[in-house]
Amino acid sequence: MKALRDPVVLLAAPAVLYLTLLYALPLGWLLAKSFSGPAGLTLQPYTEFFGDPFNWRVIGNTLGSALWVTVVCLAIGYPAGFALARAGTAMQIAMLVAIILPLSVGVVVKAFAWQIVLRRDGVVSQFLVALGIWDEPQRLLFTEAGLVLGAANIFLPFMILPIYSVVKLIDPRLSEAGATLGATPSYRFVRITFPLTLPGVVSGVAFVFSMSVSMYVIPSLLIGDRFQTLSTLTGRSFLFMRNEQLGSTTAVILLALAIAVVVASSWLARRLGSTE
Amino acid sequence: MAKHYKTLSRRRVLASTGAGTAAALLGFPSIVRAQAKELVVGGAAGFALWMNGTVSAAFEAKYKTKIVYEGTKSLVNLEKMQKNKDKQYLSVVMMDDPVMILAVKEGLLEKLTPAMVPNLAKLRPGTVHMDGMWANYLQPWQGIAYNTKSLPGGFPSWADCYDPKFKGRLVIPSLQNTEGLANLVMAAALETGKPIEQAQFDIDAGFKKIKTLKPNLLTVYTQIPQALNLLEQGEAWAIPSMFSSNVIPKEKESPMKMSAPKEGIFVGPAGICLVKGGPNQEMALALIDMLLSADMQDTLQPETFAFPSNTAAKPPLGLAADVKVYNLDWGFVAKERGEWVKRWDREMAI
Repeated sequence: MKALRDPVVLLAAPAVLYLTLLYALPLGWLLAKSFSGPAGLTLQPYTEFFGDPFNWRVIGNTLGSALWVTVVCLAIGYPAGFALARAGTAMQIAMLVAIILPLSVGVVVKAFAWQIVLRRDGVVSQFLVALGIWDEPQRLLFTEAGLVLGAANIFLPFMILPIYSVVKLIDPRLSEAGATLGATPSYRFVRITFPLTLPGVVSGVAFVFSMSVSMYVIPSLLIGDRFQTLSTLTGRSFLFMRNEQLGSTTAVILLALAIAVVVASSWLARRLGSTE
Repeated sequence: MAKHYKTLSRRRVLASTGAGTAAALLGFPSIVRAQAKELVVGGAAGFALWMNGTVSAAFEAKYKTKIVYEGTKSLVNLEKMQKNKDKQYLSVVMMDDPVMILAVKEGLLEKLTPAMVPNLAKLRPGTVHMDGMWANYLQPWQGIAYNTKSLPGGFPSWADCYDPKFKGRLVIPSLQNTEGLANLVMAAALETGKPIEQAQFDIDAGFKKIKTLKPNLLTVYTQIPQALNLLEQGEAWAIPSMFSSNVIPKEKESPMKMSAPKEGIFVGPAGICLVKGGPNQEMALALIDMLLSADMQDTLQPETFAFPSNTAAKPPLGLAADVKVYNLDWGFVAKERGEWVKRWDREMAI
């Protein structure tokens, strides 16, 4: 009772009420629906789902595309995070604007723009032909490579910013100290700098992976109906098939995957933090 | 000529206004009542332009009743009727035939008869369904939409879709979309050599044939604007089984055109029904009759580019008079479609 009279607790009340009504209750309904059958509680929706080889393919598509998007974001975002942290003030502002401003553009608009970029006569195809990598223009649109490329662009800021925030806090004198002791640049990076950036990497990976695993609009526009993921299957179950149970089941599985990633990354971040 | 000036006193104004109102109420009760009437109609979002325009204006002028049009998807209209079963607010609903079947099963529709809707007796065979539970009005026809720059010679046959020269250049609708069924049925006809009327029941053959179309597919769409964008930009060369109403209005400004292939065209299952227990039934029947009339179907032709269901209406613009027209057995489709969609996902996946 004492805790309830605490004004700090009362400050959280609107948020708690809001989340309870609009998040916890619908989530509870979703969970209940996925475990309910004509005779009451049942695991049948899950056994049916996992018993169908096609659904494993859907899970594979979901995890595979999310993994590739995360890898591409990390490969681009890690050095970009360093560049941002080490840039001069004016350049840093310019870079931050360049990274953050695209977030104000809707996902649908960006995905439509990528449809143009990934076409046979699009910029990417022309660039690869000019470099001699491709002999003739090819399309990336409606391919897995196109999906990964487009999604990585959209989610990239969520990888760069956590890495930047960690790199910014690294004391440059640590690396200099290593140098005075005869450590080579690569040794200093592997043994000093990289471990210190890992919490940022883990956060970025958690952000990007959890968003990629549940993306709906981007695959719908960049790869289409022939590449089903858990999100698109959930949407289709509710909106077209009117199969609320299948939709609830796929949504819960998707949620479980996202929670697993967040929990694993938190555990990893704590573990890395404790070894610093 | 003597001029008569009358002084307007407050009493005189009140008396004359009251007398006028009383006369209106007693002498023209239906008109006065009708002026306050509204008729809520559910239908496809894409029909809002002509429903709110041509139809609404004609109906309001004739019956002094305002149409409030709620444009959305067929399944959403069904849901509205289900949720308000005890107190319907929709009077008339325009939905696809497969959804009509679901509405009939749930007892949401009121049967139509020629006594209630005189134009019902003048419709083409096969356009009044389940003994009058609903009727087709203007049916958008489905042919092949193609890019005129990429294919200046047009797209004369459904069989051409399977030509390897179209590798990665065709966009087809998903089976989720109503227009998606025509490709599967035509594939069955091409595979078996049977006429469409019989081939539509041989879906195994349809799947066997349509799987061979995969190398030619750019993508499978669920959203029509996305497919039209790809066609307009030239990334896609053709969309087999597209609705006429989506392409013909844009033919002048975009490099795309509708083809009515030699094998024939399909007509969309655009139905209209009376909602059971819906308000203002008299006006609801009047609207249904108006939309089934030859006059209104002729009037709407330049806006809808659809096939008229009234036998007295003129044939669609730009179509040969002897074009073969196919209407699918939507009862069979409704029964089997769920399984077909599952199979489609598995067999047409990348």
